[in-house]
Amino acid sequence: MSWQAEIDELDRRRAMAEACGGVEAVAKHRAKGKLTVRERIAALADRGSFREVGKLAGKATYDASGQLTGFEPAPYVMGLARINGRPVAIGGEDYTIRAGTGFGSDRRKGGQGGFIEDLAFEYRIPLVNLIDGTGGTVNTAKRKGYTVVPGYGQDGVERSVDLLGIVPVVSAVMGTTAGGPSMRAILAHWSIMVKGTGQIFAAGPPVVERAFGEKLHKDELGGTKVAVDTAGTIDNVADNEQDCFEQIRRFLSYMPQNVWELPPVENVGDPVDRCEDALASIVPRSSRQAYNMKKLVGLIVDRDSLFEIQPTFGKAVITALARMNGKVVGIVASNPMVGGIMDVKAARKQGHFTELCDMFNIPLILFADIPGLMVGRESEADAILREGVRARYILGQARVPMFTVIVRKCYGVAGGGFIDRAGLNFKIAWPSGEWGSLPVEGGVKAAYRKEIDSAADPAAREREIEAELKQLASPFRTAEAFAIEDLIDPRETRPYLCQFIDALQGRLASQLGPKYRAGVRP
Amino acid sequence: MARIEVKSEITGTVWQLKAQPGDKVEGGDVLIVIESMKMEIPVITEDGGTVKEILVKEKDPVAEGQVVAIIEE
Repeated sequence: MSWQAEIDELDRRRAMAEACGGVEAVAKHRAKGKLTVRERIAALADRGSFREVGKLAGKATYDASGQLTGFEPAPYVMGLARINGRPVAIGGEDYTIRAGTGFGSDRRKGGQGGFIEDLAFEYRIPLVNLIDGTGGTVNTAKRKGYTVVPGYGQDGVERSVDLLGIVPVVSAVMGTTAGGPSMRAILAHWSIMVKGTGQIFAAGPPVVERAFGEKLHKDELGGTKVAVDTAGTIDNVADNEQDCFEQIRRFLSYMPQNVWELPPVENVGDPVDRCEDALASIVPRSSRQAYNMKKLVGLIVDRDSLFEIQPTFGKAVITALARMNGKVVGIVASNPMVGGIMDVKAARKQGHFTELCDMFNIPLILFADIPGLMVGRESEADAILREGVRARYILGQARVPMFTVIVRKCYGVAGGGFIDRAGLNFKIAWPSGEWGSLPVEGGVKAAYRKEIDSAADPAAREREIEAELKQLASPFRTAEAFAIEDLIDPRETRPYLCQFIDALQGRLASQLGPKYRAGVRP
Repeated sequence: MARIEVKSEITGTVWQLKAQPGDKVEGGDVLIVIESMKMEIPVITEDGGTVKEILVKEKDPVAEGQVVAIIEE
């Protein structure tokens, strides 16, 4: 006797699960320009690498003789797959089934914690969560016969919290997302949202209308303009689902599998000694003039290796992953194209990125052209001082090697947030560099008020003092005093940094593992 | 012909117009210079083409994201 009858039954049930929410629901879903969760996983993972777990989980109905009459799969598809040849735990809500809302025993499958998060944790592999669900439903009470306290059963966040200190976690908002799935989207090292079809909020338009009488389209409430560009709730925008998958693969290519491994080295054959002449003239001689910092950084790092994190939020600072001679580095760079002054958003962005790099042993290169913190009533009301100091505190706790390239300005509290004080305190300046507590122009009047006021020609005396101080502000003087470690030809930046980054790999290997931080962030 | 909107990345005041309607421009060219926070911030077109319209004049205030020029490819 073989088990063929049971094997046939298994195949039949698997086929039922493959059908998602049925022909009609799938057609409706596709009409919105969305792939099904199964298609998404297939498109994102390495070809043929997806090994599904729990395909048979769901709600079955039987007739009196015990024959299966119907089956509704659990609305979360998950399992093990490979991305860039490396294993990942991957899953996503099936929106075609009950709008991806989970309840009862099928919750253990994932989406709100559960098996998929445990798999990432136990095996120390990255987690990729393709979010397209609306969270809880009041129907649960009807099914259970009682209401539950948030965090009950499988949907606690303990595991999600653990994961953030252990393995890379990526979330993609691929549909309208509220409640629990929204929370999962935030509990990630990096998140992305698909333009047009993705929205995220604490609660959707009907709830907002009930609370405040304000009628909003879901895009106005939680589309990419709000959630990504304005709030920074989600990090990056994808133009469409395909772009979303490409960006996820790209992000993971910079990440180690877990905190016990170093990020993967990938050499594109870009020569270490490539010295770009453009770097000698990219910074304008007038410090009033802006220039393209992204282009500047792009000339230094490995060809085409720059991948920006949060490119549309807090634009005063650029944060990006990149490679130097194949080794992964984190880039923090002032953005003079928007003034470069640190505002609360840029501070938040810089702090988060610093922590990401520190967690995964990615050394930092900080390109400074920072005039200071954003001043003014609005900025103070937004807590610029606290946010700015917090970014600096986070940098102070980081234990990855870092380099500061002082491209132009480096002033005050914000400038200090670009300087490593824990390690070598390695500061490499370009001849265009200038630094201090505050720019000479702004500081002379305050520091020499008495002397200026009592002079026969106050304006002339102010100019004299300014000229005198400006002479002292020459970067050569600071280099003589070894108060910067080096002053270099901008063209040498790539070979200079590559040699040090190659050399510090052993140091990185000596500090692998989880990082526990003491203290209270300001 | 594709109509491309060029936006200011920053809130500030128009300081200089570097291009006029009818000018041929290339990707990377500066169309307008905005003065903001004592800095001169260029508005750069990413695409080449012909300047169809410049929607601001010198000393005009501009907001972040405001369309300041139209290019036709």
